[in-house]
Amino acid sequence: MSGVLVIAEHRQGVLREATLECLGAALALGGQVTTLLLADDPEAMAGELTGRTHGLKLYAHPDLAAFNPELYLPVVIDAVKALQPSLVLMPHSSQGMDLAPALAGRLGLPLVTDCTGLSWNDRSFAVQRTVYGGKAMQELTLKPAATVVATLQAGACQAPEVGAAETASESTTLTELAPRHARRFLEYLAGVVEDVDIAEADILVSVGRGIGGPDNIPQAQALADALGATLSCSRPVADAGWLPKSRQVGTSGKTVRPKIYLALGISGAFQHQAGMKNSGTIIAVNSDSRAPIFQVAHYGIVADLFEVLPKLAERFGG
Amino acid sequence: MKILVLVKNVPEVAEAELEIDQGALDLEDLEMVVNEWDNYAVEEAVRITEASGGEVHLLTLGSEDDEDVLRRGLAMGAHAASHLCDEAFEGSDPATLAKVFAAAVKGGGYDLILTGVQSADLGQASTGVLLAQELGLPHATMAIALEPGAGEVVVTRELENNTSEKVALPLPAVVTVQSGINQPRYVSIMGIRKVRKMTIEQIEAADLGLAEESLGAAASMVDSQSLALPPMGQGAQMLQGGLDSVCDQAAAILREKGGLA
Amino acid sequence: MNPLRTPFWGVEWAWLFYLLAALALAALALGLWEKISLWTQGRRAAPVASHKHPLGAILADVFLGRRIWRGGVTAGLMHLMLLWGFLGLFLGTCAVAVDHYLISFLQGRLYLWFSAGLEVCGLLLVLGLLLALTRRWLLPVPRLERRPDDTLLPLWLLAVACGGFMVEAARLAATRPPWEAWSFVGYGLSGFFPSAQAARDLFPWLWWSHAIISLGFIAWLPWSKLAHAFAAPASLYLQGQPLAVLAVAAEEGELAALGLRHLLHLDACTRCGRCVEVCPAAQAGEPFSPRDLLRRARRQARLKYSPLYRLPWLRDRRQALLERDRTADWEAAWYCTTCRACLEVCPVQAAPIEMIRKLRAGLVEQGSAVPPQLMDTLEKLHRYGNPWVAKKGAKAGWAQGRDIPDLSKSGPEVDWLYFVGCTTAIDTRAQNMARALSDVFTHCGVSFGTLGKKEPCCGDIARRLGEQGLMEEQIEATQALLNQRDLTRIICTSPHCLDTIKKVHPLFLEEGLPLQVLHYSQMLHRLWQQGRLIFDHPLPLKVTYHDPCFLARHNRLVDEPRQLLRAIPGLELVEMADHGLNSLCCGGGGGRMWHEIPGQANLAVRRLEQAAATGAELVVTACPLCLIMLEDARKTGGFEDKFAIIDLSELAARALGLAATDREAEANV
Repeated sequence: MSGVLVIAEHRQGVLREATLECLGAALALGGQVTTLLLADDPEAMAGELTGRTHGLKLYAHPDLAAFNPELYLPVVIDAVKALQPSLVLMPHSSQGMDLAPALAGRLGLPLVTDCTGLSWNDRSFAVQRTVYGGKAMQELTLKPAATVVATLQAGACQAPEVGAAETASESTTLTELAPRHARRFLEYLAGVVEDVDIAEADILVSVGRGIGGPDNIPQAQALADALGATLSCSRPVADAGWLPKSRQVGTSGKTVRPKIYLALGISGAFQHQAGMKNSGTIIAVNSDSRAPIFQVAHYGIVADLFEVLPKLAERFGG
Repeated sequence: MKILVLVKNVPEVAEAELEIDQGALDLEDLEMVVNEWDNYAVEEAVRITEASGGEVHLLTLGSEDDEDVLRRGLAMGAHAASHLCDEAFEGSDPATLAKVFAAAVKGGGYDLILTGVQSADLGQASTGVLLAQELGLPHATMAIALEPGAGEVVVTRELENNTSEKVALPLPAVVTVQSGINQPRYVSIMGIRKVRKMTIEQIEAADLGLAEESLGAAASMVDSQSLALPPMGQGAQMLQGGLDSVCDQAAAILREKGGLA
Repeated sequence: MNPLRTPFWGVEWAWLFYLLAALALAALALGLWEKISLWTQGRRAAPVASHKHPLGAILADVFLGRRIWRGGVTAGLMHLMLLWGFLGLFLGTCAVAVDHYLISFLQGRLYLWFSAGLEVCGLLLVLGLLLALTRRWLLPVPRLERRPDDTLLPLWLLAVACGGFMVEAARLAATRPPWEAWSFVGYGLSGFFPSAQAARDLFPWLWWSHAIISLGFIAWLPWSKLAHAFAAPASLYLQGQPLAVLAVAAEEGELAALGLRHLLHLDACTRCGRCVEVCPAAQAGEPFSPRDLLRRARRQARLKYSPLYRLPWLRDRRQALLERDRTADWEAAWYCTTCRACLEVCPVQAAPIEMIRKLRAGLVEQGSAVPPQLMDTLEKLHRYGNPWVAKKGAKAGWAQGRDIPDLSKSGPEVDWLYFVGCTTAIDTRAQNMARALSDVFTHCGVSFGTLGKKEPCCGDIARRLGEQGLMEEQIEATQALLNQRDLTRIICTSPHCLDTIKKVHPLFLEEGLPLQVLHYSQMLHRLWQQGRLIFDHPLPLKVTYHDPCFLARHNRLVDEPRQLLRAIPGLELVEMADHGLNSLCCGGGGGRMWHEIPGQANLAVRRLEQAAATGAELVVTACPLCLIMLEDARKTGGFEDKFAIIDLSELAARALGLAATDREAEANV
């Protein structure tokens, strides 16, 4: 295994945690780990990466403030050709989904996405992924290849400690970028600001599709009130408009870390899990004993949430 | 505007209990349905052409039965459909599929190629962008809004943490569509019957001029793969007892861990 | 002197009258022509059969306003007076025309009685109009609207009637014929004229103004809501017509296209609002009104089919109105629970319920206006044969541990197919009904089986939601299975399945295989009458019975469940305010069980409020949807302390002393 190239991810001047998770996975594979950071001011973020990667290559250009795969690709392709890593790794995110297949396609490299586990077995990579909405797991063994491109599921690995590696850094100021296509970044749009920030709550009562409809939300709210908790939800509930998008927990919503996360009628598809798996205590209620949520929960109750809701509420004076 | 939408027929698993037989999914009790993300893409394409003229063409790769997914799209308002159907395609990885699609699509004169962000089965989220590379077209993923204009399309992309960004792509381009971009219309049985007589172009490997060795499992990057069910309740300590007992236990946990009275 | 009538007495320029009359009649003819050409554009899915209702009843409805009396004595009286007053005067005018142009017969004694008769009619008309205005403006009756034409019309007609009397009064004052007292009203009024000369001078003015107002009225007649005078008799004649065969393949055009019957119904509507008064959705405060729905449908029909709206300058107005209505319809379409309360009380059988079906069929075909939850439900129905879970084979779970013959496979012959139904087979609360029923049937020695996992959906939900293609598919699948297994005797748990299998399935059968379809309450009733069902476990409880809409109104099964309840020793049956044919809908029909409408619980809560008022300890029902809706409302409405909800099947099982091992839900009772 001759090294891993990690593509760092940042947004609005802040390095994303997912990049560090990739470093954790990369270091665990053994071998040289090199990180590429392309930004308008990479030096400002370099500090977080120092001590966590062997090589650190910083590329600066004003147009790199926001992500654009067309601007990244020429630089990344040059780096791949120069370093010949066995693996190019990046987070499976809105950026990764835009970049990884493009890189793999242009260089004709094998591509595995949304991996929960990566290991090297002497000649090739073995990969674990979740499939069918989290209801099954896939084990893949790849054929030997010079370089493989992979994206890592958020939260699949831990960030490495600072000092896990000794970092040699080098900076390059790019004078011109050579995009193949004229894709332009226009602007960021902030989500609708709402009254409640679920990320601040200590206790979250979270409802999923199992709540059935907007009419049943008040019942869940009643429990939340009894517990002094805030109401949140999974994607289908926000998509259906039963609760505002600001209440959505998950990759495309908010990541939360409350003391208690009470999941009611949430199946626990990966995108949701990613948003709450680091909560202090997770209690899940679902009538399906095989719901993926039970893999990430600390305590599970297999029951009809409408039977549990009132009974819990009454135990807290609701 | 001439729009191509790639669609896929996948098993509907949301409420089903999966059975794995020797590392593969047992499809017997499962219904095949259009991939949810692709459905959003078809709806978006039809809306664009309803608003400003043009045509929507559909393309799928699958077995004979998978033709259903094309009929459904036609019933939604698409104008034509093609079906890539050949045993040689089985076992292909996304890179190979991208080559197959590219061969089928070349020369089609499409302004916009849409597909879903990922498919509900294996969820690799790669085919769309890989196809863009094969065709040498610009791309963008995770679209939650599309504004086609003269010679370019403005794509609003969904990012993490409740934010999004707008990017402009010159046309022709490939865009992958995220769920929630619109509310897909209902397809009635009557609607499907009405399009039953429409001819669907059948395409085989030979029609594309692709060598057999470059298709299927032989050309796949995967050496071996298998599926397994996640171990039940792993991680969660399942609370036992009758409803009241379980609620008492849950309440105790809430009090202790949540610092409640 | 021979009493006779002098036409055109005291006026000159008869030709002007004829001219105006010609214009008025032209307007009348144009209006009638427009209406008729509109009606006849309606597609005829099935030939209109001769009357299906007893002719006597139809005539009573048309000429005596029998159905109007049911809504109230004053309403019935008012309409009777108006109808006969106007009809009498109309016939009188015809007689006068005949007398004048053909054969003179209005002379002598006949003429005197004729005059007196017309006075009575005129008086009836005036009193009727005054009563109408009082009801609409002074009381006022809440369901009556106060739009401009609702007031203008009676006032105008009042002017016609009073004007007529005034003209007569003036003539009598001027001529003082010896028989004047026979025209007693005019005679009485004639005293107000200061002199014969004054009367004679005033007469032409009175005569011409009366003529113009009357002719104006005649011209306006077909264009106003009084067109119902023509459409309502036709509508009443056509009541009870057999359901049209709804073969989807044959309907090339829009499924939403209206038939002749529908178009007649639309014009028969008198805007009386009795449908609004009984509509559960409207009364629960939802933004839905069956009257407004018909109004929009009427306007749409006019805009689409009327020959006049082909004129270019009316066409643009047409587009704008169509758009506005469309949006309103999109929102309103899904509120109806298809409970049929509207049809029960409509004096002209105008049936908003039929319009809903057409409207929904159109929306389903177009696709964009179907609410996502209903889309989901329809898709589940299509793929999995049930609206609840996206899983195959979900319908057999309730029977675990019971040895019930599976009639989908070949095996021993049984007498009856017990058609469980999607909801009863899958919903955890409703499953208890199936268990209770199978226990009761076994106890009574009924030989029965089910279709197990293979039970298809009967097609009712698709039917109510307007997905005709799906309904047809489901009916064909069901019939294919029944045919294959030679099953023609069916017992249904749900009144919804009963309705569709009994009334719609036969329309799709090729050979008229006679299906004998019963609701389970009918079966139990039969068993009880035969002495095979004896309730020997007293239940000293005060109960009230909630008639499911589909049992009571759609299928007229009101007595059987009550007789069964009364047969249970110790049981005291009290009735809610709206019971029997007037039962108040629980809100679960019309696809609403699978559609989350904000505030929807209110329908069922309103029903339970009526239940609470009876002081009953148990609310008994006979439909799985009612059971679920009422159970939910019991919790959300806070009635837990007041009563429990139980199904008739469960109650029967208890009254038979059948052990309730896997029927836990009853234990809560």
